[in-house]
Amino acid sequence: MTGKTEERHAQLELCIPFVFGRLNPGNRKQFEAHLATGCEQCRAELSGLYEATALLPLMLRQEAPPSGVRQRLLSRISSKRPEPQRSEPRGQRPSQPQQREKVVTPSLRPERPWYLYASIVMGALLIVALVIFVNQLVGTASSQEKKIAELQSELQLKQDVFAVLQAEGVETVLLTSVTPGSAERGKIFWDPAKHNAVIQTSNLPAESDGKQYQLWVLKEKKYISAGVFDVTAEKGNALKAIPLPAADKQAIEGFAVTLEPKGGSMEPTGPIQLHGATR
Amino acid sequence: MQHSAFTQRQQYDREDTDLLKRIQRSDQRALTSLYDRYAAVLYPLSLRMTGSKEEAEDLVIEVFAQAWEKAGSYAPHHGSVYAWITALCRAKGTEKVRSANQRRRGNEESATPTRKSSDSEEQSAGTEPAIVLKGVTEDVRSSIKSLSKLELRLLELSYYEGQSQSDLARMLRIPLGTIKAKMRRGIQKLRQVSTQEAK
Repeated sequence: MTGKTEERHAQLELCIPFVFGRLNPGNRKQFEAHLATGCEQCRAELSGLYEATALLPLMLRQEAPPSGVRQRLLSRISSKRPEPQRSEPRGQRPSQPQQREKVVTPSLRPERPWYLYASIVMGALLIVALVIFVNQLVGTASSQEKKIAELQSELQLKQDVFAVLQAEGVETVLLTSVTPGSAERGKIFWDPAKHNAVIQTSNLPAESDGKQYQLWVLKEKKYISAGVFDVTAEKGNALKAIPLPAADKQAIEGFAVTLEPKGGSMEPTGPIQLHGATR
Repeated sequence: MQHSAFTQRQQYDREDTDLLKRIQRSDQRALTSLYDRYAAVLYPLSLRMTGSKEEAEDLVIEVFAQAWEKAGSYAPHHGSVYAWITALCRAKGTEKVRSANQRRRGNEESATPTRKSSDSEEQSAGTEPAIVLKGVTEDVRSSIKSLSKLELRLLELSYYEGQSQSDLARMLRIPLGTIKAKMRRGIQKLRQVSTQEAK
């Protein structure tokens, strides 16, 4: 009895990742099987979560799709009849067990030095060890200085990002690629009152040598530079706080990202990679 | 005033359940009523997720087509009909974005496509402000003010873009524990708003 209750509580923890679609296939299947048992607690939890998350789209500006969409929907369903009431089965992805390679390391047998020279060798070793130790200390100090500088810049970035994200009246502008179906994306979190912004991008191609991405503000049909930024080589991601040119909120029509010579250009010379309108 | 919007919402829920029953009996007019009521919410949601007008239109069609075919699979644990249809849209949108990302990775080696500027400010021909949910929406917007900016932003990134908590921690350089706590708190507050709505 207690076990059953505990199991239900454990499953309750899975409700949020389930609603956000973040459960792995195994856990998802297990959770669906649990739901199929009719657990009232989890069903009520899920219903509440679906209801709560469905409020988020109501925050977006409502806009009806173009009129042709309704007609396309009607022609699509005209040949189909609704399925009879049933529960949806879901597929299961087989798990792939990972094989581990056994790593064999050869053992080293130290040679025994001749006892007459042992003290000389030991002395030499001590000197070498001392030199290595001193070098390491110097190296550690400089690498720690480097680490401190990295952490300081990381902290500064974090503070800048937090400041924009938490600002009153912050606007979000989505940046999309001009190529349909492209996964290149970006977002501008923009604080119009303080003229600060955070740019976040994903899947942008890594810059070639001598090139750098540049953010532009579209104001009165003219592009004004808002600075350059770099993306990570593996995923084309970037996160950077960027001060924007001072301008009224209404005057800023949009943002764009282009690939420019390193250091940036006075006006866009490369093709537009991402763009988004403030509307 | 707030009470009237909530009452209106309850009225919608009852009507939606009836529409779904009629859809199960192959009543196309019921589907168009559901479409007229919620397309103006699902289209911006689709646009937010896919970032493309064409894909957003396709997504809206897929969602309502699925609502037509699978109306029988709706169950009370999906929340209201509006919550169910929104969750369908979100799940399909996430799937669409994921497969587009996978396709892109597969084609990464191919030549860089020629880009030309497109008119991002072009308005779609049939666009008109939807007023059906206006009262409810305004009410929700003011209630959601109880969420901090960061809580709301994290929920939006997770909801619209399918970002996991660890993705968000990495992307925003915020500790994972903070992300988890903020999101949990944000969800709790959203739930308070939605239960308040239901009263």
